[in-house]
Amino acid sequence: MSVLFDIFDPKAAPRPIGIDLGTTNSLVACVRDGRPECLRDCDGVALVPSVVSYGARGHVVVGAEAARLQSAHPEDTVASVKRFMGRGADDPETRRLSSLRFEPPTSEADSRVVRFRVADRVVSPVEVSAEILRVLAARAREELNGVGGVVITVPAYFDDAQRQATKDAAKLAGLEVLRLLNEPTAAALAYGLEKKQNGTFAVYDLGGGTFDVTILRLDDGVFHVRATGGDSALGGDDFDRAIAESRVLPALGVTAPGPDVRRLALDLARRAKHALTEHAEVELSLPREGSAPLVLTRAELDGILRPIVERTGVACRRALRDAELSPTELTGVILVGGSTRSPTVRAYVRELFGVEPLCELDPDEVVALGAAAQAELLAGEGGVDDVLLLDVLPLSLGIETMGGVVDKILPRNTTIPAEARSTFTTYADRQTGFELHVVQGERELAADCRSLARFTLRGIPPMPAGMARLEVTFSVDADGLLHVSAREVTTGIEQRVEVKPTYGLDDDAIEQMLLSALDHGEDDLAARRLAEARIESEQVLTVTRQALATDAALLEPGERDQIEAAMAALVAALDCANASLIHLANEDLERATHAFAGRRMDAAIARAIGGKQLGEVERSVEGAKGIEAHLAAERS
Amino acid sequence: MTLGLTPTYGLDLSALDARYHELSKVVHPDRQAGRSPAERRRALSLAVDVNAAYRALRDPVRRAEAMLARGGRASDRAAPSPAFLMDVMELREGLAAARAASDLGRVRGMADEVRARRDRVIAGLAAAFGAGRDDDAVPLVAELRYLARFLDEVRAIEEEADA
Repeated sequence: MSVLFDIFDPKAAPRPIGIDLGTTNSLVACVRDGRPECLRDCDGVALVPSVVSYGARGHVVVGAEAARLQSAHPEDTVASVKRFMGRGADDPETRRLSSLRFEPPTSEADSRVVRFRVADRVVSPVEVSAEILRVLAARAREELNGVGGVVITVPAYFDDAQRQATKDAAKLAGLEVLRLLNEPTAAALAYGLEKKQNGTFAVYDLGGGTFDVTILRLDDGVFHVRATGGDSALGGDDFDRAIAESRVLPALGVTAPGPDVRRLALDLARRAKHALTEHAEVELSLPREGSAPLVLTRAELDGILRPIVERTGVACRRALRDAELSPTELTGVILVGGSTRSPTVRAYVRELFGVEPLCELDPDEVVALGAAAQAELLAGEGGVDDVLLLDVLPLSLGIETMGGVVDKILPRNTTIPAEARSTFTTYADRQTGFELHVVQGERELAADCRSLARFTLRGIPPMPAGMARLEVTFSVDADGLLHVSAREVTTGIEQRVEVKPTYGLDDDAIEQMLLSALDHGEDDLAARRLAEARIESEQVLTVTRQALATDAALLEPGERDQIEAAMAALVAALDCANASLIHLANEDLERATHAFAGRRMDAAIARAIGGKQLGEVERSVEGAKGIEAHLAAERS
Repeated sequence: MTLGLTPTYGLDLSALDARYHELSKVVHPDRQAGRSPAERRRALSLAVDVNAAYRALRDPVRRAEAMLARGGRASDRAAPSPAFLMDVMELREGLAAARAASDLGRVRGMADEVRARRDRVIAGLAAAFGAGRDDDAVPLVAELRYLARFLDEVRAIEEEADA
């Protein structure tokens, strides 16, 4: 689609966009004329500082202007909010050097999400991130006729809670998330599309607050991630903190710095760090009567940064072991993230992998470019039919068992989407419920892993101990998000329970925030729901019509009539402008097309692999584990 | 699920990768633009199955178990020879000693030895299945499991030493 066409056609379709929601800076990109490019402001700047400043009477400022307000209003200005995504109030990360005021939780439920007191209100990281996303979406809307779905990048090493929080922020900002995409994979996509070079690559991604390493194979357009690892609390911010703590604060002669001094020390540290990328020595003048300027050399900086940078080596070596590779087998190493501009980092990467790292693309922009490319592919507009990303689950998922030990259900580096089942049984007569604790991480003990959800399965028919068979299914979708469902199999009673995670925000909380964000509250929300249902239904009608036309041969006698009747009912529901009627009609149409859809899928597979059969699916259900082996069982 | 490949133990792993990629291009959730919700759901469940099958087929132990199951033999009762068990016991004692002494060099040396041994067992399995001698494969599968577990332990030791 040409740019001219975009400009002159008022009915041009909304365009998919890619967003890199970074710790320090965020960007939005879009594919234009077949090439991904970052969208810039009128000064040609693509980076939007990930800073949100709150003022009186609901006034919110985002980006460069907010960054300028930071020194004057350190407590009301939130920077590096990404470090707090999906984290609880009691998380050690929330207690590190920061100029923010943390709101003490008032209840246990409250303590699952960290909150900041800013100006006249209290905000969560999800709300702060939503402000940044709104600004990026607005920039895209100005440039494009309309914004369709969005691909948002997340660190590969983000856990389920951090991913969910990111998705919640997008929902709050009113964006339709096509996919959460891992940042290193996005970067590889940006590189691979330009170079078309097959091989095995490591992506070393050190951002402002997160570190990721991904080992992937590129085979004729398929990006197959073999292993990923990282540290979701390690980045350039730590460089600033280390410089501030070891050099700037002592030079200022401060031992117990308040928010203003902390902010100042971090600013000076960052300026020194940036200057030393180009120069061998930097002189910082300190805002203190009669004090000599602080002189810092690159060698000294190296000494301060080296121990932090070396922490990335642990994750790199583990990812290589997981991929069963030695560094010499790598075709290349791609550098991503602003912090990889540091000479200390580059020297370390060279040492670790034994190759000269690739950095042709701007390390700040490459992730957003990859996200835009993926958004285009997902919208089916890429025309690049052979590109596919096969990504993995970054951290093992498991269940807490007897003695607090973790039983791993899905190991790390499993290609997603993935599913695993586990069967449990009751330990007491007439037991009708029990509790499961889902955790994520690599440690042996549940207490050392991230707690994702505690939930109670209820409604088990009363039976003698050990008779009930509860099958719990863990599904991880292509966004890396976990869904858990359970059913009782012995009695044939399909007692499906969809489990909502116990962390973060539930749907009601997000809805409340949406309502308060909209000027006219409920009316606006209802109108928006209706509009969304309408768009979705029209898409469904279009694709169903196309399917009927192209695959008429796959229809069984009478099937066309049923499908067409369901389509007519949906069209009628659309006329009534009632969201729940439309929803019901959609469900009916889906039921009517279910079998046809299966046949179309099978035909597509047969075409892909030359008419062969996939073979019988063997689903091995693990042996039932005694519930006594599961801690925290509940008698009810 | 064999992903449409001929069931054989001596699987060509690059052919498996190629087939896996072809299938993923059809069933992966990212490739469902322009499809109805029913088709997307069907594709998702197929993508989950294809991923699981790929993972199982790449694993030499699970591939052997699947081959035995095809021939109607159970692999879980199989026991390796007493001589093999003695060997493994000695290896594990050696590994425990190397771990206690934090001798990573010795750990890696033992790992190389066991890897070579594992590769010989895999070759033996391919020969046994290839000749239709499934009964001969049964004790080899048990051996392979022990060797794989040993290598898992090596990984854990390496990780522990690194952290």
